[in-house]
Amino acid sequence: MAAVEPHPIRLVVEDDLARSRLTVFFRLLLAIPHLIWITLWTIAMVLIAIVNWFAVLLTGRLPGGLHDFTAAYVRYTTHLNAYLYLAANPYPGFLGTPGSYPIDARIEEPERQSRWKTAFRIFLALPALLLMTTLVGAGGGGGGGGGGGGTTGDTDFGSEAAWGAGGTASAVFVAAILAWFAILARGYAPVGLRDLAAYGLRYAAQTFGYVLLLTDRYPNVDPREPPATQPTPEKPVRLRVEDDLRRSRLTVFFRLLLAIPHFVWLFLWGIAVFLALIVGWFATLATGRLPDALHRFFSAYLRYEIHVFAFVLLVANPFPGFTGTPGSYPVDVEIGPREPQNRWKTLFRLFLAIPAALLNSALSGPLYVAAFLGWFASLALARMPESLRNLGAYVLRYSAQFYAYLYLLTDSYPYSGPAEYVEPEVALEPVPTWPDAPPEPSF
Amino acid sequence: MARRPTRALLLGALFLLAVGLVAGWSLSAWALWQTEVPDGLDPLTVPDSEILSPDLLDEARSYETFLRVLFLVSLVVVIVALALYARFGGRFVRESAAGRIGTGMLLGMLGLAFLWIVDIPFGLAALWWERRHDVSELDYGTWLAENWLALGGEFLFVCLALLVVMGLAGPLRDWWWIPGGAVFVALALLFTFVSPYLLPAQVDAPPDVVAETRSLAEEQDVGEIDVRVADVDSYESPNAAAAGLGPTRRIVVWDTLLESFGDDEVRVVLAHEVGHHSREHLWKSVAWYALFAFPGAFLIAWTTRRRGGMREPTAVPLALLVFVALQTVALPAQNAITRNLEAEADWVALETTEDPDAARDLFAGFSEQGLIDPSPPTWAYALMETHPAIAERIAMAEAWELRAGR
Repeated sequence: MAAVEPHPIRLVVEDDLARSRLTVFFRLLLAIPHLIWITLWTIAMVLIAIVNWFAVLLTGRLPGGLHDFTAAYVRYTTHLNAYLYLAANPYPGFLGTPGSYPIDARIEEPERQSRWKTAFRIFLALPALLLMTTLVGAGGGGGGGGGGGGTTGDTDFGSEAAWGAGGTASAVFVAAILAWFAILARGYAPVGLRDLAAYGLRYAAQTFGYVLLLTDRYPNVDPREPPATQPTPEKPVRLRVEDDLRRSRLTVFFRLLLAIPHFVWLFLWGIAVFLALIVGWFATLATGRLPDALHRFFSAYLRYEIHVFAFVLLVANPFPGFTGTPGSYPVDVEIGPREPQNRWKTLFRLFLAIPAALLNSALSGPLYVAAFLGWFASLALARMPESLRNLGAYVLRYSAQFYAYLYLLTDSYPYSGPAEYVEPEVALEPVPTWPDAPPEPSF
Repeated sequence: MARRPTRALLLGALFLLAVGLVAGWSLSAWALWQTEVPDGLDPLTVPDSEILSPDLLDEARSYETFLRVLFLVSLVVVIVALALYARFGGRFVRESAAGRIGTGMLLGMLGLAFLWIVDIPFGLAALWWERRHDVSELDYGTWLAENWLALGGEFLFVCLALLVVMGLAGPLRDWWWIPGGAVFVALALLFTFVSPYLLPAQVDAPPDVVAETRSLAEEQDVGEIDVRVADVDSYESPNAAAAGLGPTRRIVVWDTLLESFGDDEVRVVLAHEVGHHSREHLWKSVAWYALFAFPGAFLIAWTTRRRGGMREPTAVPLALLVFVALQTVALPAQNAITRNLEAEADWVALETTEDPDAARDLFAGFSEQGLIDPSPPTWAYALMETHPAIAERIAMAEAWELRAGR
């Protein structure tokens, strides 16, 4: 992976996953003082954002005092959202002090900004705001609010603020709901859900920073950037991406229509898969293994599904084949050999799959928005932006693991974290250590 | 020494086979061409001025002239575009990770997409013209959306066709056209069978329309025929259709027709559509299709041989060009065939309703509402008209009246 200049707004995660069941259970109520406070702060921020806009337009740089005020606001919204979305445990402070919270936004000193980008900032920010809405929710989640854009910060967690475009729940919101149950049961947060929330919060902080004129660097939605510093769980279902980002304008323009024969074939094949699944469920329950023929049949269908959706959603370029042949497509699913499966997990597979199904559905929002934005970008540039492609690949990887679980190909639960482990090429900056917490990934 | 007589024998046998096939084709075509319309009606003509007022006639002629020119230009542009696609379309092979057939499907769909793009300006110009003359109220956005969806349907169709052709061309090489032709005829039969369910959303017909259809079907001795009303947008032109085969036989009447015409005119339309069923026109259409499908498939197989035949995806763009070119060449013949069937349905309707006045009013009404030129120029008649000209249809009503001694 090529080294990329770090974004001036980064997220530092020093959370140890431990959670207090009591504060988690009452989290929404405990946050009420913060919700009142952020409403007031957001009103002030809207006015300050207008001042910011004129200041940057005139001087080409955000003056120090305004920068500090705005940075504190962005940090505070990050702390509060991390608390509300269960990405961190402690009760946050009210001032957005740097380094005061296990999930913190690192914001660099003011730098020169392009006046053109400043003049049209609110329009330029629209794609990022749209993506943020589906990923984190309107207004960046529980707190925050696009000051410069005049959007108001709806601060009620679980209200419309946590819902994505088109009325669907945002991915981070659904992750938080699932984490709430998991934490109450186990006393700590699942790492995948925490990392998903952190990823969303990082993107929200960068989007707010862009809208509120802290920086003119565009928010980066790439889930692999920067790479994770610790291995993610080994999974029998993995996504292999060998796409070169090149896109054919003609096939991009007609992509949905070109996929129609694939949709028909997916539907017909899906009927056979549904019937075979019933047989497979009984067989796995009886023998503890999915029969080899069914394992191959479901694997081919799953690969084919991912090929088709990678094509439709612009995660890859070529027209896919109809057979789901392994290695035949630049975005491919690698499925491990069949293994013995836990009979209890098989017996209750449908019910166990419900949380993953909810998250899979919520992740489709960012996926579709990335494809929508990527469609315009690919038509203009004949190239898919890497960050959008990687977001698509992340969601497809989760989908592949979810469907593999549903199709009895594995009893390993899908991993929801956005980053897969990659050996970092650039040494990450040392970050202050949260008291009594082991080092955690930096997003 | 022994080789020469064998070769001559083989050539002779092939010649005889070819003669037999041509004779069989001609005999079949002659049999299918026969209708109940009596000879000797042609000389009768009706002056256009008796059908439309002078102002309306001028407007209809000017209106149709523009559309005809547009049709001709678009036809030329489409052929040129397809020729370019046949030359360069093979490059899109690199956009596919699918196998032989899947890549062929992609090239087929991209060819249609290319045509769609090329045809958009002509479609928009035609719509602008229709709106300007109050013939259509369709807005541009809806037109584009409907066209986009229709392109999706065409994609499905071309994929199915290429699946058949390329699937057969794999093992059979250049001989795919023989079973391929048979499969296409079977598909045409299937399509005709299910066609009633593919027409616009339908509701129950009013009781009087149902009763009228039943009575007309009895008179034409055709058994019971279902009749439904298509619930279409108010801007759609009045229309009706006979669809289905055997148990799916149905007549579908657009609600705009029921709203625009009186009971007598609607009765003529119903009798015309029942006539299509009673004279087995849908079966005949499939038979005509079969007569064209085999030679057409053969010509496609023959012309694509230089590109490796239809088993190679790179032959698909050329096949598309040949297919459209053949369709264009066959267009006058196909239009003549449908006009022949429509003329018979008109005659049967006159025989059944015995109401030439209603037929006259109906056809004049069509002309007035759709700004249809009652007597189009010969070239436009040959290339564009699937029904007899309005003047011919009215002349037939008058001829029937004369023969009936009224």
